[in-house]
Amino acid sequence: MIGQLILNGFINAALLAPPAVAFTILFGILKFPNFAIGAYVTVGAFAAFAVNVQLGLPIWVAVVGAMAAGAAVAWLSDALVFKPLRGHAPVTLLVVSIAVAFILEQCVRLFYGGNVRGFDLALERPMRLWGLRITKEQLEILVISAVITLLVHLLLTYTAVGKAMRATADNPGLAEVRGIPHRRIAVFTWLLCGAIFGLSGFLAGLDLVIEPHIGWNLTIPIFAAAILGGIGSAGGALLGAILVGIAEELTVLVLPTTYKVAVGFLIITILLLFRPHGLFGQAEIKK
Amino acid sequence: MTSPRTLIEKTSLPTRRALIQGSAALAVAGLGAPSIARAADPIAIGSLTPNTGGGGPFGPNIAASHRRVVELVNGMGGVLGRPIMLFQEDSETNPEPSARAATKLINVNKVMAILGTWSSSVTLGIMPMCQERDIIQMCTSSSSDIPLRDAKRLVFNFQALSPVWGKAIAELCVQRGFKTYAIMALNNDFTKSMVDSFVAVVGKAAVVEEPFNYNGGQSSYRAEVEKLIARKPAAVFIPSYVQDFTAIYKEIFRAGYEGQVITSSLSTGPQFVQAVGKAADGIIHGFPVPPIGSPVYKEYLAEAGLKDTGQVQHPFGTAGRDQMSVLLLAIEKAGTLEAAKVGAAIHAVTTGPGKTSVTNVVDGLKALRAGKEINFNGASSSVEFDAQNQLKSRAFQLAQIKDGADTVIARLEETT
Repeated sequence: MIGQLILNGFINAALLAPPAVAFTILFGILKFPNFAIGAYVTVGAFAAFAVNVQLGLPIWVAVVGAMAAGAAVAWLSDALVFKPLRGHAPVTLLVVSIAVAFILEQCVRLFYGGNVRGFDLALERPMRLWGLRITKEQLEILVISAVITLLVHLLLTYTAVGKAMRATADNPGLAEVRGIPHRRIAVFTWLLCGAIFGLSGFLAGLDLVIEPHIGWNLTIPIFAAAILGGIGSAGGALLGAILVGIAEELTVLVLPTTYKVAVGFLIITILLLFRPHGLFGQAEIKK
Repeated sequence: MTSPRTLIEKTSLPTRRALIQGSAALAVAGLGAPSIARAADPIAIGSLTPNTGGGGPFGPNIAASHRRVVELVNGMGGVLGRPIMLFQEDSETNPEPSARAATKLINVNKVMAILGTWSSSVTLGIMPMCQERDIIQMCTSSSSDIPLRDAKRLVFNFQALSPVWGKAIAELCVQRGFKTYAIMALNNDFTKSMVDSFVAVVGKAAVVEEPFNYNGGQSSYRAEVEKLIARKPAAVFIPSYVQDFTAIYKEIFRAGYEGQVITSSLSTGPQFVQAVGKAADGIIHGFPVPPIGSPVYKEYLAEAGLKDTGQVQHPFGTAGRDQMSVLLLAIEKAGTLEAAKVGAAIHAVTTGPGKTSVTNVVDGLKALRAGKEINFNGASSSVEFDAQNQLKSRAFQLAQIKDGADTVIARLEETT
């Protein structure tokens, strides 16, 4: 059973890693925890549903639709809400992001109601490998998640735009002085992260159930993964997602299942108390 | 003249259609405001329904039923010569926003009753403030705690208590010969007593894994499902709501479990089948049902604009119709808004033999005004209350999903 739980933990991690990486990149630019990320995930899930079920298009088109919708909504939320408030205290922006999350969720509810939905894909029985069970769908989630996380890592590490993103996150003023187009980089970051949130919505819809709370249910584990890995570290967010995913699964061996939801909060609390910059994040130097 | 619709206020609505209707109502209300001011002092009634959250599939039907009955009665001049002002709120199937909504209904709108609560935790959550202010509650909630905490006997329940559900489902499962069970239940007031009564019927020895609870709204249910199927039970029983059950069932299917999955019908329905596709086939589910095929049920279908399919439709919308009808008939009967007297009148217009049987509020009001004693028979049940304001009986149905549709496999009439 432990082996299966650990494998299950990796599948959980595959759902959490891409949005945790996107969250941490976005934090670098925004400098506040954006609680609307769950709503971006929800929009992605419903966009994929609309393309796949309502328009009857293939699932890969639904993936593209989810990423496009996520990118559009994330960018719009910046253009209409966050950009005009730039310079306000992080706590103000945090509260505003909660409002954005509610507004987006209610917009989804307005068109789709509160009912559950699923993609036009048949559920499959598992394959059995060395006594462990895994479905084709879950394998695809693992692969997509790993590829996306790797691509983001390569983008940030080896490309000019990735380096510009990191420079902007580090010190936007200095980056601008060095000729980096700060505003365009910010827009690109929003679009990139929004697309990742949209993709996460598709993956979550595949694994869980499409309903207006789908993104909200993932928000705390995503935050926990990002904080555990260290805000600003994409690799750290990946490792954080794996640790959170496995921790949630193994909890049931020692605690009643009703305590499972507390794992994310517990990780955030412990990290903030003893290592606020996470496992791989860099402590901020204040002068 | 003021349209009946002008006396309905909706503050939170879940669908685009409902929003458009609400906007229209508000526009009309604006035009008719002076008429309202001139009208006799309206009777304020609150409707707190689960338009979103776990009860989302049912709340809008309950809310619509409340509106329809109020519009009918306002069309007849109201009750006691006063129009009905309906204030509608969304409980979100969550006690915390429900408490805020109930506070607003009681303190701002001055309602004399709150109808339509669905989740037991919502009904129980707003009960203290309702009891303190002598507000009548009408609900479709199943926790056994409801009659225990209703010290003033002001809560009228239009649903069977959950031990009845657990017992009925278990008896029908035993008949089908399952030898071993494992049970996981959503962590709320509704499921606790259902699990206890289920275990009492199937026997503790048949339960191979200690029943456990899970919380809704999780990012994964894999660990819970591993625990549930670890001892390979012949059947698993999962009292839940549709949001969490859909995710759980997908995991059970993907885990390769081949045994029988049993749940309450609150967890299934057309949307569930759409979400999981053919994998839904085989699931057994049960719950109290309206008297399908009866004239009053057909009356409801016509009012709601539905065709008679022979299947259960709007299981809670029927109760919403009965709640509002019974309350307004009782107010007319009592001749006052005093809670204790209206409570007594609710028994008078619903329970007991030798009275004129009525099946809708219009006929009921006419009969009362003609000086007759009435017994209201509803679209959800015969609406006969015991001394604790709980229904004396409800029909109960066990169905199995086959080819995406429910096939009735057993039916218990008037389960108590």
